[in-house]
Amino acid sequence: MPDTFHYLQQLVNGLTVGSTYALIAIGYTMVYGIIGMINFAHGEVYMVGSYVAFIVLAGLAMLGIHSLPLLMVASFACAIVVTSAYGYSIERVAYRPLRGSNRLIPLISAIGMSIFLQNAVQLSQGSGNWAIPNLLPGNFSFGPGGNQEVMVSYMQVVVFVVTLLAMAGLTLFISRSRMGRACRACAEDMKMANLLGIDTNSVIALTFVIGAALAAVAAVLLSMQYGVINPYAGFLVGLKAFTSAVLGGIGSIPGAMLGGLVLGVAEAFGADVFGDQYKDVVAFGLLVLVLLFRPTGILGRPEIEKV
Amino acid sequence: MNKPVRQALFSALLVWAVAYPIFGLKLAFAGVTLQVHGASASTLGLIAGASVLLFLRVLFAEPLGRLRKGSGKPWVPPRVSNYLTLPSTQRWGLVALVALAFVWPFFGSRGAVDTATLILIYVMLGLGLNIVVGLAGLLDLGYVGFYAVGAYSYALLSHYLGLGFWECLPIAGLLAALFGLLLGFPVLRLRGDYLAIVTLGFGEIIRIFLRNLTSITGGPNGISNIEKPTFFGLSLERRAADGAQTFHQFFGLDYNPAHKVVYLYLIALLLALVALFVINRLLRMPIGRAWEALREDEIACRALGLNPTVIKLSAFTLGAAFAGFAGSFFAARQGLITPESFTFIESAIILAIVVLGGMGSQLGVVLAAIVMILLPELMREFSDYRMLMFGALMVLMMVWRPQGLLPMQRPHLELRQ
Amino acid sequence: MHNVSKMTQLFAAMALVGAASYSVAADTIKIGIAGPKTGPVAQYGEMQFNGARMAIEQLNAKGGVAGKKLEAVEYDDACEPKQAVAVANNVVKDDVKFVVGHLCSSSTQPASDVYEDEGIIMVTPAATSPEITQRGYKLVFRTIGLDSAQGPVAGNWIVDHVKPKVVAVVHDKQQYGEGIATSVKKVLDAKGVNVAVFEGINAGDKDFSSLIAKLKQANVDFVYYGGYHPELGLLLRQSKEKGLNAKFMGPEGVGNDSISQIAGEAAEGLLVTLPKSFDQDPANQALTQAFKDANEDPSGPFVFPSYAAVQVIADGIQAAGSEDTAKVAEAIRQGTFDSPIGKLAYDDKGDLKGFQFVVYQWHYGKPKTEAK
Repeated sequence: MPDTFHYLQQLVNGLTVGSTYALIAIGYTMVYGIIGMINFAHGEVYMVGSYVAFIVLAGLAMLGIHSLPLLMVASFACAIVVTSAYGYSIERVAYRPLRGSNRLIPLISAIGMSIFLQNAVQLSQGSGNWAIPNLLPGNFSFGPGGNQEVMVSYMQVVVFVVTLLAMAGLTLFISRSRMGRACRACAEDMKMANLLGIDTNSVIALTFVIGAALAAVAAVLLSMQYGVINPYAGFLVGLKAFTSAVLGGIGSIPGAMLGGLVLGVAEAFGADVFGDQYKDVVAFGLLVLVLLFRPTGILGRPEIEKV
Repeated sequence: MNKPVRQALFSALLVWAVAYPIFGLKLAFAGVTLQVHGASASTLGLIAGASVLLFLRVLFAEPLGRLRKGSGKPWVPPRVSNYLTLPSTQRWGLVALVALAFVWPFFGSRGAVDTATLILIYVMLGLGLNIVVGLAGLLDLGYVGFYAVGAYSYALLSHYLGLGFWECLPIAGLLAALFGLLLGFPVLRLRGDYLAIVTLGFGEIIRIFLRNLTSITGGPNGISNIEKPTFFGLSLERRAADGAQTFHQFFGLDYNPAHKVVYLYLIALLLALVALFVINRLLRMPIGRAWEALREDEIACRALGLNPTVIKLSAFTLGAAFAGFAGSFFAARQGLITPESFTFIESAIILAIVVLGGMGSQLGVVLAAIVMILLPELMREFSDYRMLMFGALMVLMMVWRPQGLLPMQRPHLELRQ
Repeated sequence: MHNVSKMTQLFAAMALVGAASYSVAADTIKIGIAGPKTGPVAQYGEMQFNGARMAIEQLNAKGGVAGKKLEAVEYDDACEPKQAVAVANNVVKDDVKFVVGHLCSSSTQPASDVYEDEGIIMVTPAATSPEITQRGYKLVFRTIGLDSAQGPVAGNWIVDHVKPKVVAVVHDKQQYGEGIATSVKKVLDAKGVNVAVFEGINAGDKDFSSLIAKLKQANVDFVYYGGYHPELGLLLRQSKEKGLNAKFMGPEGVGNDSISQIAGEAAEGLLVTLPKSFDQDPANQALTQAFKDANEDPSGPFVFPSYAAVQVIADGIQAAGSEDTAKVAEAIRQGTFDSPIGKLAYDDKGDLKGFQFVVYQWHYGKPKTEAK
């Protein structure tokens, strides 16, 4: 089978792309799970995180620091702090005043917020691309060689491992910690949680912050892997992540992870079979197909109709 | 530290965390290496100023709030706003707007008439989407797909078969409606936000196909030199195609490009008025009542023996048909269409018109279309800051009037105590 | 200007708007610059604005044109056809008679309808679609070659010099990229070269790993890319990481410093078709330095063509000895103009005559050389 290695290679490519979709998708799914709203500005939070990562990496390089672990830790820390601040502020400005109104209203204000952030970053950092060199070159390769091999770059491994760690951490947090329990309670029934003494305002703010922090993790990883950023990078990634969240069943965290991976793999094979220009058609087509047979996504709970 | 001080400090720090990394530091290339430079002192001053302001604002939130409550009167007195939202007032408002629209071309410059034409296209789109979102309560994020179908059906029919605008207009509407029906059928059993993302996906799929099927649709080049509408067979161009007569020759006038602009405007006005009238009538028919009933309570609808699928599908199809009309007019006015005219942001703007208008209110949609199209035009003076301010205004308008500019008051009874 | 941050400019602009008054000075010639300042293609618009501004600044420093200073009036069309029409109407309203723009072919075309109607000269530094000049318009010019001129140069060069075994032609599914890629493929097909992959990518995409896997499987040893530098930069970078040993070639849209910044060492050996005398001209050295002094990026595909567009307009006015647009258009058709992108002469349609493209080889961190 000469093609086996080729398909394995595409599988690896798809899983790497998919795992970053998954990280960003969690931000969508958490916000949706708790307040039932789509945070359209989430892609922009990711974009801001990438800029922070670039600033940190370039700044440390200017100071003569080239140790990879240090660079990674510093950019993770800074990006997480800044995007968390963005997540919190977006919630305060564009969501909290609108809580309780028709759910389309915050959708529009989030789209406005996303236009605002794109243009603010463009005005401040320019509309062009910024680039950093690959910090972790090199790859593992398996197979007999020539064109028959599967190449996994070190960076792809890092992306995959960090994503898994972040998700494991989040799952632990949600299932074990006190705040995580409060989150789950709010997702079940906001009013009841409030009556039981949970500060729902801070729980909602926290979900925005957690979502933003995970977007920052994805931003740093993708910045290191691809090394290029521009102010409009958030939109497409945000759209794909949103699709993953819905594909997996919006509101469900394992669903977002699964949705991201499935979408990434589908795109890789779709690009292989139909050509790269049909990648997005494959992604959305898969979404439609899945929703036709499972109207609430792969792992979504069927909605109970209440009278 | 007591609570207000802590909160105020937190807000001040938040300003720094949000603003400093993105606005206070600048990336720059030195050869092929990326570097970071500090921004100017004035930027830092601005950030510092903003953080101090927010600090004070949060610190004195309580006394400020009391102050406002003391002198607190809403911006618009309730009686006025009640009057403004009455259906009868809105009807008169619409009449006044239509009258204004008729005299507009005699006062406005070419640019003003052209902008008004664009607004009318969005009025049409807004009214169409209003059926789906405002009345039937189905969130459609891919409305631009039907707009594209309308535009491309006219462009392709005119390009390959040489059909004129007036023949293609109904065909374009029908084709868009057919697409609405075909796409709507499988997806309408989805609920709420699942429907939103699927429609978004369909919109993107339509755009990508238009871009990729280069041999038929011209791919990214789109289709150019689309015929402008004729006036009973008379062309309004400077030089007519062979065999045809031009408007200015027929009437013995000098060629004046303003004729073409005003004529296009009048067609747009006609189409928008037809849309307004038809939808207004539909609302009073059982189907219109059923849309609204469905939005309010699907289960109750079923209990009353209404078939939700049929009702949803009719809303979806009709909405798509109006997008088709608007699309074919857009193609005719523009003379050139490319897939890039039909991106997601277009759907978002149409949706914003419906929501800003007040979900279901027709006068509201008209006003919102004027606001949403005119704002970016008026802000051209700000050049670089245009879209920044547009985004900020979208957020502010939603926060300021979450119920929309002019929400519709439905006939209702209130219990007096 | 450059140490004043953009945010302060915003506040200044907001403060000014109420009090803005337009003094119409008859002793200036207004040059409209219309292109995208917002939206995803704003980065190309920035190149256009920088180039045109610099030309206006330098011409004014030399005493202006026919005794009058030039005045830049800037418009943002976001590269959207319907906004382009609104911009064109504003140009009419502001009584501007000469326009440098637009950038995207799709916005240039509807805008040019208005300009032709209203007697305004338009010189586009970037729109390469042949359609624009095929409608018999008298006032439409460009300072950029057509896709159909550049494709054959690249195609023939590949056949004669590279002699690859298996070729892939990739493009960004945009007007410019697909146009050039199609024209290259036509030449290659005609000469019997095996084009194994002809595929589009999505502009703005970051991950090309599945495309690269596909190219590797097809044993491709030469890739022609139609499009701009951001995507090709990433494609080069990822190809190197994934061990795809192929030579790459691209049109002038990729031939600028950013490609080395994005692709890093993978940019070494890249082949690019560029207008002749783009760089040899010593005058360009001074110009490049002037851009650097102004803290602007002189690289980028549209900087010099925009500079040239202003120059063509200015020289046209000078040659016509009048600001009457019909006369200026006639003068532009008749004359030959020295510009940073070479000697420019126009045919009847308003396209450049005999515009020469030369193949260059890119080097990482070093100046490019003419390819052999």
